[in-house]
Amino acid sequence: MVKATRKPLEEIFGMVKGFERVLVVGCGGCTSVCLAGGQREVLALADELAECARNARVPQQYACFVTERQCNREFLEDIEERVENCDCLLSLACGAGAGLLADVYAAVPVFPALNTMFLGADLDVGLYEERCRTCGQCVLGDTGGICPVTRCSKGSLNGPCGGTQQDGSCELGDGIHCAWNDIYDRLKGQGRVESMMVIRPPMDWMEKGPRTLVQRGFEGRYAKKPAGMPQPRQEREGAAARMPPGAAADKARLP
Amino acid sequence: MRGKTTEARTRERIARIVAKKEGLIRLSLQACAHCALCAESCFIYRQSGGDPTCTPSYKAINSIGKIWRKKGRLSEAEYARIGELAWNKCVLCMRCYCPVGINIPSLISAARGACRERGVLRTYDAKRNA
Repeated sequence: MVKATRKPLEEIFGMVKGFERVLVVGCGGCTSVCLAGGQREVLALADELAECARNARVPQQYACFVTERQCNREFLEDIEERVENCDCLLSLACGAGAGLLADVYAAVPVFPALNTMFLGADLDVGLYEERCRTCGQCVLGDTGGICPVTRCSKGSLNGPCGGTQQDGSCELGDGIHCAWNDIYDRLKGQGRVESMMVIRPPMDWMEKGPRTLVQRGFEGRYAKKPAGMPQPRQEREGAAARMPPGAAADKARLP
Repeated sequence: MRGKTTEARTRERIARIVAKKEGLIRLSLQACAHCALCAESCFIYRQSGGDPTCTPSYKAINSIGKIWRKKGRLSEAEYARIGELAWNKCVLCMRCYCPVGINIPSLISAARGACRERGVLRTYDAKRNA
């Protein structure tokens, strides 16, 4: 899931102190799970900001609400009336959620209260580790489930860099494991070391514009219709407009 | 607002959530034919081996439906039961299918909102097997 962490209080207060009525909007999805943007965090942040406002003698009112998922337009309709009665929105969702919130309520300033960190796994309560950089070209099947792009300090895609230490750690130290040493150990345990011998072309990091995913089986739904026919909603148009009808593309990139 | 008790303010906030979707709730409760066709579209229902309390319609009727009928005046225990339905038996994947067109996820989301206002919410920092 997406992992996020709260920005420093001073930074958040600095963003919203010019607005009288602030609606703090939490998210019931990933940021609730990583203890950064759920109900409790929303209430706590509103209390802290109200305290800051009192100390700074800034007249402010804070209202709170938690949407189920800020990255889904349907759930954002729940706060429609509340948005009418506020001067700005403070989002405790990931960047995707805060961005969609800003799109849906374009007339109202939206500020992010969280820094979105990474896609990670839960190691323990409140302890998370990055596991995926969403490169879009997953190689986990050949690397024993250990991502070289994410776990290798240099993101080396075709084997170790030469800086692997005797104990299997990375030359950068600080207790970092060499991802490729771990990959070798795991594949050796599975009896398929040969799968890491595949030489891959460099990853395409150039095209990192906003991407849209049309899930397999939904290509027809979002394909552009002939002139005169009702077009898909604007927010779905991006992927569809660039895909030939029936094309089985998993990913379409928007310019 | 000054002078109102915390309880009164909580009720007011719950009433606001219910009022926003009152039309949908009323229509859904009237239109639901209890056909149980929604059950097969719910992976939690299927995984539970056919537990009727995991049927999407059951979850909606017995969560926001109950809150609406009782105008939010439910006991802590009843809210806890609704929270159990709304969080532990639904992930809001939005894949439930209703032949009549009832928007079940929207109903469950309203139930969750009401529960949150009541202090009933899912916690993610409790140690498992603690």
